[in-house]
Amino acid sequence: MTDSSRAGIFSRVRQASAGADSAEIAAQLRSLGRAPAAALPCADLYTSFLINVLKNHGTADLASNRSEAVTATSKYIYQHYNTHRLVAGNDPRLAAMPWREAGVLPRFGALEPGEPVSLSYARLAVAELGAVVTFTGKANPAANNLLAENHIVMVDCMDLVVDMEAAWERIRQITDQEQRPRGVNFIAGPSSTADIEGKQIYGAHGPRQWHVILLGDVPATALQEARSIAAP
Amino acid sequence: MEQHSDTFLENASKALGNKAQADIRDLLGLFTPLLRNAAVDNFEHFEALRHHVKRVRQHSLDNLDHYLATYEQQALKNGNRVHFANSGDDLNSIVLDICQQHNAQRIAKGKSMITEETGLNDFLQRANLDVMETDLGEYIIQQAGETPSHIVGPALHKSADEVRQLFLQKHDLGERELDNTEDIVGEARQILREHFLKAQVGIIGANALVAEDGYSMLVTNEGNGDLCANLPPVLIICTSVERILPRAEDATAMLRLLVRSATGQSQTCYTSFYSGPRREQDVDGPLETHIVLLDNRRTEILASDYREMLQCIRCGACLNHCPIYNSVGGHAYGSVYMGPMGSVLTPLLSSLEESNALPNACTSCGRCAEVCPAEIPLPDLLRDLRHQETVEKITAPRWRIGLKLHTWLARNPRLYHWLTGVGIHLLHLAGRKRGSFRKLPLAGGWTSQRDFPTPQGKTFMQQYRAQRKQS
Repeated sequence: MTDSSRAGIFSRVRQASAGADSAEIAAQLRSLGRAPAAALPCADLYTSFLINVLKNHGTADLASNRSEAVTATSKYIYQHYNTHRLVAGNDPRLAAMPWREAGVLPRFGALEPGEPVSLSYARLAVAELGAVVTFTGKANPAANNLLAENHIVMVDCMDLVVDMEAAWERIRQITDQEQRPRGVNFIAGPSSTADIEGKQIYGAHGPRQWHVILLGDVPATALQEARSIAAP
Repeated sequence: MEQHSDTFLENASKALGNKAQADIRDLLGLFTPLLRNAAVDNFEHFEALRHHVKRVRQHSLDNLDHYLATYEQQALKNGNRVHFANSGDDLNSIVLDICQQHNAQRIAKGKSMITEETGLNDFLQRANLDVMETDLGEYIIQQAGETPSHIVGPALHKSADEVRQLFLQKHDLGERELDNTEDIVGEARQILREHFLKAQVGIIGANALVAEDGYSMLVTNEGNGDLCANLPPVLIICTSVERILPRAEDATAMLRLLVRSATGQSQTCYTSFYSGPRREQDVDGPLETHIVLLDNRRTEILASDYREMLQCIRCGACLNHCPIYNSVGGHAYGSVYMGPMGSVLTPLLSSLEESNALPNACTSCGRCAEVCPAEIPLPDLLRDLRHQETVEKITAPRWRIGLKLHTWLARNPRLYHWLTGVGIHLLHLAGRKRGSFRKLPLAGGWTSQRDFPTPQGKTFMQQYRAQRKQS
C-alpha cells in the first residue's frame, strides 16, 4: 500500500510544483533572508537570558567556577529535598565536578522512577527563549529531562547564544563533528498545562521545578537585575 | 472521528441553548484574544515575521517535490522507516500493522490532529489495543467519550468541576476528593505516568518536518509528547506532507508565530527535534521509529485555488477570534477542524455536499484573516467555497433563485433603487403604527428570533441624495 501511495503522492506533488532545479530552489531560499527574532528584554545577554528563565517559571543561580556550581547544586537540592543525591547523565563535564567538596552524591546514568532530582549539562542556551538546549544520548538520557520532579540544568555562559538562528548555527557546528543526536531539546520551563479552565498548573507530566545554573564569568548583578525586572 | 457537519444548524441551535457552556465560551472569547494580542504586541516585528514565514511556506509548497524527496532521504538516513498514506484509512492500517508486528497492546498517544482526522483511536481500539491519550485535555475528553472542542485546548469546554466529577467516576480515588485543579492534574499525572512507563508504542504528531536533516519538530507545554517519543520502544510519528519546511530555523521561525498566536506565550516549555531511533551509545529512546506521511486530499488542495490553506499552522487563533465559533463552540461544526480554518478545510478534506453549512457559518467580519499568523485569507476562501456551492447547485434552490434575482437587480441599479425605495416605503406605511413587525414574508429566519423594526420610510441612497442636494 505504502509503495503505491508513495508513487501517487510524489506524482501529484510533482504536478503541482514549480519544477525548479535544486540550485534555483537554494537561491530562492537564500533570497528570503532571515526571520526577525524576539527582542531581548535588556541590552545585556546574560541578564536577558536570566530574565526569560525566570519569566518561564524557572529559578536561576550563578556559579563562577565548578566548585561554586557544586555548592550551588548541593544547597539547592538539600533545601528542596533534604538530600544530597541526584542523577546525572554520563557527561564528562559532570563527571569532572568536585562533588565531594559539597557532599553531593551523584549517580551517573538514566533516572529511574522514584528518583526526584536530575542534573543535565546543557550544550547551549538561548537568550531569546530563556531556554537550555540538551541533546539526548549517553551524556543526557531523555528520562533525565522528563521524569524527574526537579530538573537542574547547568550551562556555560560561553554557550549562551542570542536567538534560535544562532542556536542552529552552533548546533550545525557540533553535528559537523559528531553524529546527529536523536533528540535536540529546547527546554524553557517546568512541565505545565492550562487545559483545565485555562489555569496554569506546573508539573503536568514532567518536572515540577526547573533550575538553571549559569556557569562562568557572569557578574552577580546580572541575576539581581534579572530578578528585579522579571518580578511580577 | 465521525463527521456530522451536515447537521451544523441543529448542532448550533442545541449549543446555543446550553447556557453554562455558552458562558464558558463567552469567557474564552474575551480572554484568549487578550493573551494573543499582548504576546503579539510584545514582539516588535510580528508583521515582518508573519510575512517572512508566509514566504518560506509558500516557497516550500511551490517546491514540495524537491523538499519531500529531500526530507524522505534524510529521514531514511537517520534510521527511520517512512510510510506514505493516501487516505486516513491507509494511515490507520499502517499504524495498526506496526503495532501488531510488535505484539503491542499498550499505546501512549500524544496530541495529534492528523490522527483525530483519521479516527486512529477508534480504529486501534476496535483491534483491542489499549490506546491512551496523554495530553491532559485529550485525556479528559477521551475519558468523557467526547471529541475536541478546540484544536489547541480540546477540553476547554469543560469546567474544573465537570473534570473532577469525571475523574471521581472513572478513577479509583479512595478517600481523595480532588478539591482543586492541582489535585486533578496530579491525579492525571499519576495515571498517565504508569501508562508511559508500560507503553510498547508511542504515537505523536509533528508541528513541522525539516527537509535538510530529517528532524521532526514537536511543541508541547506538558512534555507528554516527549514522553511518548522517548519511553516506549517503538515510536510512530503521524503527520502530513505539507508540514515540510526547508531548514530547522524555518521551523523555529514558525514556532515564534505559533506560540504567540495559540496561547499567548513567548515560548512553550518543550520544543523538541527528533531524528530517529536511539543511537549505538544512547541509553534510552525508541529502538524503532516510523514516520507516516498522510495525504488525504492535500495534494489535490495543493493543485487547487485553495492552496493557501495548506499554510495553516493549527494555532487556533482564528477560532478564538471568530464570533460564530465563540457562539456555538467547536462541537457544532461536527468535524475535527472547526472555526474559520475548519470551515475551509473540512469541505476540502471531505466534500462540500457533506459540509455545505460550514462555509456559510461566517459573518465576514474578517477578524480571522487579521489574526491568522499564516496570513491565510480565510474570509475569501470561505466566500469562494460558497460560490462553488452555488455553481455546483449544492445551495438550496430558493437561495440560488434569490441570488440570481439579486445579481440581476444589482446589474440594473436604477430598477434596484426604485424597487427598494418602493419596498421600504410600503414597509414604513404598514408598520409605522406598531413600530416593528413580528412576522415578515421571506424573513422568517430573522423574525423567528426577534422583531423587525419598521423602516423610517427612505432608503440609504434616497437619504444620501437628499442630503447632498441640501448641501
